[in-house]
Amino acid sequence: MMKRGAIAILPLAFGAAVYGFAFGLLAAQVGFPWWGVGLMSVSVHAGSSQIVAVEQLASTGTVLGAVLAAAALNLRYVGIIASLSDVLDGLSLRAKLLAIHVTGDENWALTMAERAKSPDVGAAFLLGSGFVMISVWTVSTTAGAVIGAALPDLERFGLGFAFTAAFIAMARGLWRGRSQALPWVVAAAATVAVVSFGLPKAYGIVTGALCGLAVRALLRRMKAVIA
Amino acid sequence: MSGAHWALIGLLAMAAVAIRVAGLIAGGRLRASRHAWVLDDLPGLIVVSLVASSLVGQPPVTWIAAGAALGIAILTNHVIVTMVAGVAAYAGLGWLGM
Repeated sequence: MMKRGAIAILPLAFGAAVYGFAFGLLAAQVGFPWWGVGLMSVSVHAGSSQIVAVEQLASTGTVLGAVLAAAALNLRYVGIIASLSDVLDGLSLRAKLLAIHVTGDENWALTMAERAKSPDVGAAFLLGSGFVMISVWTVSTTAGAVIGAALPDLERFGLGFAFTAAFIAMARGLWRGRSQALPWVVAAAATVAVVSFGLPKAYGIVTGALCGLAVRALLRRMKAVIA
Repeated sequence: MSGAHWALIGLLAMAAVAIRVAGLIAGGRLRASRHAWVLDDLPGLIVVSLVASSLVGQPPVTWIAAGAALGIAILTNHVIVTMVAGVAAYAGLGWLGM
């Protein structure tokens, strides 16, 4: 079953490899050594979170702000891992910890989808697909960083904009419907206001996200009152 | 690699483990609580704020390229395609003398 998971994930692993290579390239261009990128990939194993951390450190220079922004992006894993409680049931604690570390968006989604079709798909499938994903992710990001370090400074070709474009694409992926529109607009406006006042970007991002959450909470309350 | 790089990797790795372990221990309860929506909403708000913070004070060319990237992202919903097309738009606009 572990082998079945490892084979089934291969097409998705290829997509992650392209993404990982691009991330490694960008990380090397903003000063990360290739082995630092590899170490980060194997120990953090969360793509979008790593991109945010690297970009924030390069643009703001503050470690804590970069970690907080990146970790907040990873919060969805609380839900993802929680949804695995049935799959992980019966494993030893060590096996559970290993399984949740190798769990990423792709192999989680594949395991859940396959399990819905046949109930014998479980922890072994998750582990097999997870080992492939974390290996491919670590190797591809490291390879990207090796190549990226050998290339000349690509900033003048607009490579820095690649981060902004990546964030725009991530936002698109996180869009769930019109109920998010107003909170997102408020978050963006609050961020622009704070940064325009000359405060650090990290403060702007935290303020923006909190203002967005406040608006979302208000909207939810209003909806509850109307309903 | 500087101390800041080490600190970033170390802290981010700890945060990633803590978040996954929180899912393992309290995930069910957190998901069932009335604050579960925060887990769903915060990532999108952070990313939108990141985009906004990287556009503040930038010249019009960056804003136009961001608009192009948004259009591509809406159409394709694909990170790599958006990155490549966005950088191409940015470089193209620069080449046109903007």
